[in-house]
Amino acid sequence: MAIIEIDGRTFDVDGDGFLTNPKEWNEEVAQLFAKHDGTGDLTEQHWAVVNHIRQHWEKTDMAPMVRSICQDTGIRLRELYTLFPQGPARGACKIAGLPKPDGCV
Amino acid sequence: MMTDITDKQNKALNFLDSRLNAKLLTHLNSCVHCGLCGTSCQYYITEKNSKNMPASKVDIVASIYRRYHTFAGKHFPKLTGARDLNDQTTEEMIDDLFGRCTMCGRCVAHCSIGVDIPFVVRTGRMMLQQMDLVPKSIQSTVDAALNTGNNMAIPTQDFVDTINWLNEDLQFEVNDDEATIPLNVHGVKMLYTLNPREPKFFPLSISAIAKVFYLAKESWTISTEFYDITNYAYFVGDEEGARVITERLINEALKFGADTLILGECGHGSRAMRWEGPNWMKAKYPVKTITAVELIANYIREGRIKPDKSKITDRVTIHDPCNLVRNGGIIDEQRYIVNQCCSDFVEMTPHGVDNFCCGGGGGQLAMSEYNDRRMRIGKIKADQIRATGAKIVVTPCHNCVDQLSSLNVEYNLGVTIKTIAEIVADAL
Repeated sequence: MAIIEIDGRTFDVDGDGFLTNPKEWNEEVAQLFAKHDGTGDLTEQHWAVVNHIRQHWEKTDMAPMVRSICQDTGIRLRELYTLFPQGPARGACKIAGLPKPDGCV
Repeated sequence: MMTDITDKQNKALNFLDSRLNAKLLTHLNSCVHCGLCGTSCQYYITEKNSKNMPASKVDIVASIYRRYHTFAGKHFPKLTGARDLNDQTTEEMIDDLFGRCTMCGRCVAHCSIGVDIPFVVRTGRMMLQQMDLVPKSIQSTVDAALNTGNNMAIPTQDFVDTINWLNEDLQFEVNDDEATIPLNVHGVKMLYTLNPREPKFFPLSISAIAKVFYLAKESWTISTEFYDITNYAYFVGDEEGARVITERLINEALKFGADTLILGECGHGSRAMRWEGPNWMKAKYPVKTITAVELIANYIREGRIKPDKSKITDRVTIHDPCNLVRNGGIIDEQRYIVNQCCSDFVEMTPHGVDNFCCGGGGGQLAMSEYNDRRMRIGKIKADQIRATGAKIVVTPCHNCVDQLSSLNVEYNLGVTIKTIAEIVADAL
């Protein structure tokens, strides 16, 4: 457990910086996390990815496959890695307020 | 007087008792505290705290052994540094054995008398596993693998959809509309395994290996049921779980009539499957195993694929995964491949058997509670990479890839991290 401070707001996060309480998440939080991890200002393309991940997680309790992110948003895979320099898991899923996915990520 | 112990602690002591064979006794009793291991360990080099000394990680297990198994330890514990197994020592064991060791084995190579320190650390982890004290963050990965067949709990249909989606990429790459990644094909020569992070988040490495197999005209398939090469049960000291995971892949190879199981680019998974698995199964495998690295090197030697090194002119370096290199002895194959695929290859210092761990081994990547330490000890690797001036870092391990990717961002390295299959596919 840790606490991070972004622009004067504090958040409980796990050691990897994933939000501890997913209910605390909203669009403003997403933007703050994106700023904090170097992704920067979220564009329309970023939002398409973040919203898809968030909705999938709310429905299934799991992060979506990267295939479904690409197919749903129309963003090409290589483009996705550029949009989120920390990658789909440590970048996009974290910004979408998910807990850290299991495995080698 | 010994303090009262709980049922779980008793279980751990019985477990230790059952493990006290000549090998373990030797490694528990041989440390002479010379201190050489300290300067070999990434944790101790990064932070000169005595708890980071590999010898002290051995000592916490050895001190409990002495308390319950030696005359002096039973009667004069303070004089011999023997300690009870109690809440305090178990808490220290969790922090020392899970939180301060990547099981990289560099200390063993530097130990003046060859104490197998990670073997003792693993024994301590097994004792914690007996007490249900494995950190939850890594235990959930083990549970996912045992309960769903893969460590990210990917549903079969999602896996199939992803592979079929990748076919488009493959067809474009090899300019053949008929090219596909073969799923559940019976009567093939080889069964391929992979790391679930590939289909879930990083599938370009699957496209890459599929391109290599296509051009090498390999007879291969992937099982949609059991394809996960990782074995986190091995990390947490759950030998029964590790055996189950091993057996599944061997049975899967037999099911499809394959005579060879290809171990995808995963350091600990390859080690578990190739060198540890037969001990858990108490049998010689009925199929052969080969790492993807060795297989690809063979393709190039035999002329089955012909990489063009003029295609990759950026400077490339190799990161050696500890389990594959120091512990497994696969050292020259990846160098041969990279030299055939890249025109400017430079080594890190040190490299090969004396390499430094990426910092994410031994399950560290899964345990967020120790994330700060993982990133701090990774600075050694980041500095090594920067010193080479390389633009591309190649490593045959997805766990290393992920840690190196984190280091890339944290330390502004500005490099691209690739698997062996990816660098080869780029040169084809």
